[in-house]
Amino acid sequence: MIRFDNVSKRYLTGLDALAEVSFEIEAGEMAFVTGHSGAGKSTLLKLVSLAERPTRGYVTVNQRELARVRRRGIPQHRRGIGMVFQDHRLLTDRSVFDNVALPLLIAGTSRTETAKRVRAALDKVGLLAREKASPLALSTGEQQRVGIARAIVAKPPLIIADEPTGNLDPQLSLEIMNLFAEFGAVGTTVLIASHDLLLLKRMHKRVLVLDHGRLVDDYRPVRAA
Amino acid sequence: MSAQAERRTAPPAKKGAEPRGPRAPVGERLAAWRDQHFYSFFSSLGRLAARPWATLLTVLVLGFAIALPLLFWVVFDNARELSGGLREAREITLFLKPALDARHADAFAAELRRRDDVAAVLLRTPEQGLAEFRDLSGFGEALDALQSNPLPSVLVVTPRDSGASEDPPLVAAMQADTRVDLVQYDAAWRRKLGGILHFGERVVAVVAVLLALATLLVIGNTVRMDIQARAAEISVMQMIGASNGFVRRPFLYAGLWYGLLGAVFALLVVVVVEVALAEPVARLVESYANRFALHGLDPGVAAAVAAASALLGWCGAWIATARHLAAGRPA
Repeated sequence: MIRFDNVSKRYLTGLDALAEVSFEIEAGEMAFVTGHSGAGKSTLLKLVSLAERPTRGYVTVNQRELARVRRRGIPQHRRGIGMVFQDHRLLTDRSVFDNVALPLLIAGTSRTETAKRVRAALDKVGLLAREKASPLALSTGEQQRVGIARAIVAKPPLIIADEPTGNLDPQLSLEIMNLFAEFGAVGTTVLIASHDLLLLKRMHKRVLVLDHGRLVDDYRPVRAA
Repeated sequence: MSAQAERRTAPPAKKGAEPRGPRAPVGERLAAWRDQHFYSFFSSLGRLAARPWATLLTVLVLGFAIALPLLFWVVFDNARELSGGLREAREITLFLKPALDARHADAFAAELRRRDDVAAVLLRTPEQGLAEFRDLSGFGEALDALQSNPLPSVLVVTPRDSGASEDPPLVAAMQADTRVDLVQYDAAWRRKLGGILHFGERVVAVVAVLLALATLLVIGNTVRMDIQARAAEISVMQMIGASNGFVRRPFLYAGLWYGLLGAVFALLVVVVVEVALAEPVARLVESYANRFALHGLDPGVAAAVAAASALLGWCGAWIATARHLAAGRPA
């Protein structure tokens, strides 16, 4: 699903965010990217969503070489990715329902189908009862769950999340991660950047470890006893 | 590879390939496109209504900017019509030499009446002229002090209509005639009036173009500020796959609304001015015993103004969004 071939990224400021990173994540796999701040986690995710382009090397997502996706193709590419942000980035001037419906509106899904899918997504994250609420009226954990509902509503084959539990306490963090694991279990590929090593340990999933832009470890768990 | 890992990778492609499958049928895509436009149409209107004062201010500025050339235009349109009435007047007025006495003036008139290109001749003696002047000018007492009548005999000649636009040859002939002191032919000043009107029309056109540009800039700038206020929202939309067209659309509709509301307000201003001026103009016209009546904008022109203004709003918004989108995109 995701393939990095000798990918390097140097920003205009001269900062080497990633250096010769290669790995492959299979379809339906769930994996974490970890490392200290500035290790290149966010850059790695940005290369997948085409928020940035690599300086060298090739990134392939869903069998598409991203260098061949032109500017005009970027929106279409992103519709195939469900994105979850640390600060959830919900639009506060509209309801929970409308926030979750946004990707479907963008994709041009019919209204009846939209309503059906939005409710299904909200049900999955346990917030069906709050569809008319404003995101501002929700707790931080609930807001993040709305963000996740928005990411999965269009049923993308790939979900990427940048520090989705960065603002949550350990208990909520675990709940959110388990939610992601559920999507992984139904065939969606999930890639999550997180620096919360304790949490990662409990998840028993593959972990890519970055250090100063280099991939220093690719840990695959053996089955937990 | 562990058993768990195998289980995870086992049911993969089922969902993986689905969203990039064949595109939806045309009818469905058309419906979706229509839905998106409906959404932009109403959400943009809702956003204008959510900030009534800011919207009102913009609309007022636009309204006055549009009303100004419209009022000019109404004035000149009426002036043109008024001058149309004057264009009918073809009389040539001959002021005869004061030395010419009444008998010679009579003979001159008779001579002119015999000409082929003359339809009618009216003789006004110095006495008639003085009486008329006394009535109109209010200089009655001053005139009484005069020892003799200083006014000449006047012949008002109506030429036969030749259909030609230039001065009839009669005018040149009379100017050469030794018995005539002065030839006053209205066409000359009518031509000047025509020149003035043409100039006025051009002024209206230039002012209209300048203020159309101002309208474009005002709307463009308003939309630009609107975009800045919602930059975070735009970036979220772009991150989850919104195309430029989708991001741009609500702003285009907002521009359209600004233009349309501005035009409606401008037309309202024009109507109010017309109503305010109708009574004094009517009285003024009446005193000149003219059958002229003030007329305002006709509905066709009003509709054209509204459409043009809405189009300008759309274009202004397009420029503003194009700039933002060009600046805010990664490679």
